[in-house]
Amino acid sequence: MSSSFALSADLALPYVVAACVLAGLGLALLLLELWRKRDSGVRAGLVAATGVLALAALLVAVLRPVRIHTRGTSAGPAVAVLVDASRSVDLPGDDGRSRREATALALAALGERLAGVRLRVLTFGDGAPKVLEDPRAPRFDAPPERTSDLSAALRAVATSTDEPPNALVVVSDGRLDRPGEDQPGAAARAAAAPLEVPIHTVAVARREPVDAAVRAVRAAGAAVAHQPLRLAVEVACTGGMACGELPITARELHHDGPSLMRASGKARVADGRGVVDLELTLDRAGKRILEIGIDPQPGDQIPGNDRRYLTLDVTRDRVRLLHVAGRPTYDTRALRTWLKSDASVDLVAFFILRTPTDQVNAVGDELALIKFPVDDLFTLHLPSFDAVVLQDFDAEPYGLTRHLPSLASYVKNGGGLIMVGGPNAFVSGHYGRTALASVLPVALDGIAQKDAVDLATFEPVVTPAGRRAPVLGPLRGLLGPGLPPMSGTNVVGDLRPGATALVEHPTRKTPSGKAMPVLALGEYKNGRSIALTVDGAHRLLFSTFAAETSGRAHGAFWDALLGWLMRDPRFEPAVVDLAAPCLAGEEATLRLRSAFGDGAQAKVEVTRMGSGELVRRVDVALPTGDDAAPLPLGKLDAGGYSVKVELADGRAAPSRYDFACEAGGDEWADPRPDPVRLAAIARATGGVALGLDGVDELPLPEAEQVLSERHVRALVPPWLAALVAALLLGGHWIVRRRAGLA
Amino acid sequence: MRAPRPATEAQSAWHAPAPRLRRRQLLLAAASLCACPRVAAAFGEEGAFNPRILLTGTDEWRGARTTAPARWSEELMRRTSAPARLSPTTVRADDPALLAEPFVVWASHKDPDPLSRREVRGLRQFIALGGLLLCDDFEPERGAFARGAKREITRVLPDASPIEIGPENVIFRSFYLLRRAIGRIEGAPKLEAIVRGGAVQVILTGHDLLGALARGAGGVETIDVVPGGARQRELAIRLAVNIAMYLLCSNYKDDQVHAPFLMRRRALGQP
Repeated sequence: MSSSFALSADLALPYVVAACVLAGLGLALLLLELWRKRDSGVRAGLVAATGVLALAALLVAVLRPVRIHTRGTSAGPAVAVLVDASRSVDLPGDDGRSRREATALALAALGERLAGVRLRVLTFGDGAPKVLEDPRAPRFDAPPERTSDLSAALRAVATSTDEPPNALVVVSDGRLDRPGEDQPGAAARAAAAPLEVPIHTVAVARREPVDAAVRAVRAAGAAVAHQPLRLAVEVACTGGMACGELPITARELHHDGPSLMRASGKARVADGRGVVDLELTLDRAGKRILEIGIDPQPGDQIPGNDRRYLTLDVTRDRVRLLHVAGRPTYDTRALRTWLKSDASVDLVAFFILRTPTDQVNAVGDELALIKFPVDDLFTLHLPSFDAVVLQDFDAEPYGLTRHLPSLASYVKNGGGLIMVGGPNAFVSGHYGRTALASVLPVALDGIAQKDAVDLATFEPVVTPAGRRAPVLGPLRGLLGPGLPPMSGTNVVGDLRPGATALVEHPTRKTPSGKAMPVLALGEYKNGRSIALTVDGAHRLLFSTFAAETSGRAHGAFWDALLGWLMRDPRFEPAVVDLAAPCLAGEEATLRLRSAFGDGAQAKVEVTRMGSGELVRRVDVALPTGDDAAPLPLGKLDAGGYSVKVELADGRAAPSRYDFACEAGGDEWADPRPDPVRLAAIARATGGVALGLDGVDELPLPEAEQVLSERHVRALVPPWLAALVAALLLGGHWIVRRRAGLA
Repeated sequence: MRAPRPATEAQSAWHAPAPRLRRRQLLLAAASLCACPRVAAAFGEEGAFNPRILLTGTDEWRGARTTAPARWSEELMRRTSAPARLSPTTVRADDPALLAEPFVVWASHKDPDPLSRREVRGLRQFIALGGLLLCDDFEPERGAFARGAKREITRVLPDASPIEIGPENVIFRSFYLLRRAIGRIEGAPKLEAIVRGGAVQVILTGHDLLGALARGAGGVETIDVVPGGARQRELAIRLAVNIAMYLLCSNYKDDQVHAPFLMRRRALGQP
């Protein structure tokens, strides 16, 4: 309980001052008047006394002074503690403790030190800080965050509508994403600017762990298929680890099978750091996952940062395509014309212009024919092609048969294959019961040579999958529902698992009784293949039918087929991505969306790259519109993963999405604590930088008074003050008159 | 040790994939039985070379050269892997069937009547779709047809004019290596052509190519070549084969993989 005095309860200070000045002025005039009268007798003294009393009474009547009684309590200061919950909290700290354990100790010590303080404990990492539910718990169990953004946390606290704290305490290892190494104090002060409070820091670790790590991998420019890509790999050895030369490898992960060594080198480590440039060439476009690793080093406390995974979106400058045709026809001409007209296609073509039985009636030098380099093409040069088109080509007479296993491996490793029909294709081309048959989207088993072609003219039918598949969208946009009649077809069997028929025969059936596929798309491990069983696609370019679209349907058809083969997102039936970068041991979530936007059911299969081990298989209902369905994958181990999404009802060939999970990501790449940065932040904001053992020295802000009661009472009742002032003024007037003053 | 099987376009026959050849011949023979132009081709013959004769006005296809298109197909099949229609047909310039296939031969000895509007429109559409028109003058000595054909083509393609093409053009190396153009008469060493978008779309020969190909009953050539000799007729056939192969393969022999080889072979000075 306390009391105080105030000149006025309701008048603002300027009015109080004005009243006092006027009263003083009146008194001065009275004294001036008496001095000019030269009267110093009793009568003058009486005038002066009554004048002073009247002025004082008038001033009291105007101001109405009050006495204030208050009752209140003393509240502790408000302090916000920001605890680093980034993934580096799980790295080794000092004295055999992890930084997470050290953080728990720091929180316990702060709890004791700040016993009388109104404490708010928040964790920071990605974006705005989160409230730590039980800061006094013996374990610090906050889930690890992907980054350590202290600046964002400070800004969020400073602009929050909660009570502003009187001080901030940061508990961290100092290895922060923001503020960075450059002027961290100024950056932190700017982030917390509206508060203008000290930021104290508590370092949970000071000593570097013994570690060898791939600290960073930087690609110089975009990754383009078939073009060398330069990677700058930075490695580091900390904690006194003597590394000397560190061997580094860059391996490309494959869907099903061992990874492929793409480049290797040695980094000479000096002053704990070394950089090596690796040059590698990737053959396939699309998402490619590289594993950059160093050999395990003895004594390494953090083996998780020995390898980094780099997901590259490999583009292609041009699609390098091998077009092999068994004989020149209008169909060959049409396809070649389109391929040559597309500037994005780097075409290598070989047509069989002469069979062994043809009689050219000329000596060799009169012919413009060159040897078909089948062995070079399908061994040495095969990996350099993005896709191979076998058009009406018989494998047997030209020596391709012996290369079919490597062609199948080529598809398995990510190459594209299109087999176009004709009298020398599919079973007629001796592909049945070969390795290549296993990578085609249609089966060729059980079809005799004599039954290998069907000469009857037919009108192909677009299947329900074809009607919805983006790959036929451009063609159907030009032609509508119809397709030109075809003069016969190669006979093929059932669809292989995972393949989709977009166009089928109206009457002919497969051994299982289903309509025979005419255009089928399939995925085989890393690669894709297309089977087109007719040789009349040229009618989309040149025919009375084609004239209606000025021949544009042919280009639309092949552009989409080649685009799908090359995994052009325009032709994928499902859109898949990760909700956030995947880190091993943390919840990973996929987002899935149907290109059709009509709420399809999808079968999702997640497999581990390399082993092909099935991680997850689930049916998902995709939402309508542009919304994506979240699919939690649980906690994954480090490595590459492949997601296959197949829309139900065989609506389209499956989409694939490859991604990698890293053990620690950027947070583990540089495991050194940075107490210097914490000290700079504290110094710049007027705080103190402490270690775990110095929490007791944390300065506490002053306590605050909080009022609970307040009473205001007038010293003199206003009516009495006014009455007294009036009587005294009247008395003063009478005395003045008697003294001869006006 | 098993000897490697040479996979080659150029080597002479060393083994015969007999079933395939039989199938091809059977298919083509079956298709040839059906000479009607409106009937769809059989599987495998759908994209076969077909030297259709273009008729304009009231012209009809008669005379000694009516056997030439079949001979052309026959020679193409005998010498190359390309399939061809053994009974080529005729098509009128104002018939929608003109757009069924990308090749027609316009040949005559006389100045053609002016094309009707529908004929101009049909030919313009044929060229716009990427078709190839061969104009062959039966009497290059007079040149009446050549002049008339150029005049009418100017109406079809007013913005294009013929240029001379010689051995530098892919037509002269699409199958045989040719040093000059030749037909029933020796004529000019070069052909005239209208090239659009890098592709030859109209070829004008002043060599009576069909005359060199024409054959009577029993396979005897009915029209003498001038100045004469079997070699001239052989070279004319080779030019016809090259035109067909250009049609079927477009500029395949301009590809980079062929260029160094063909330049070396040309340097040897072979015809």
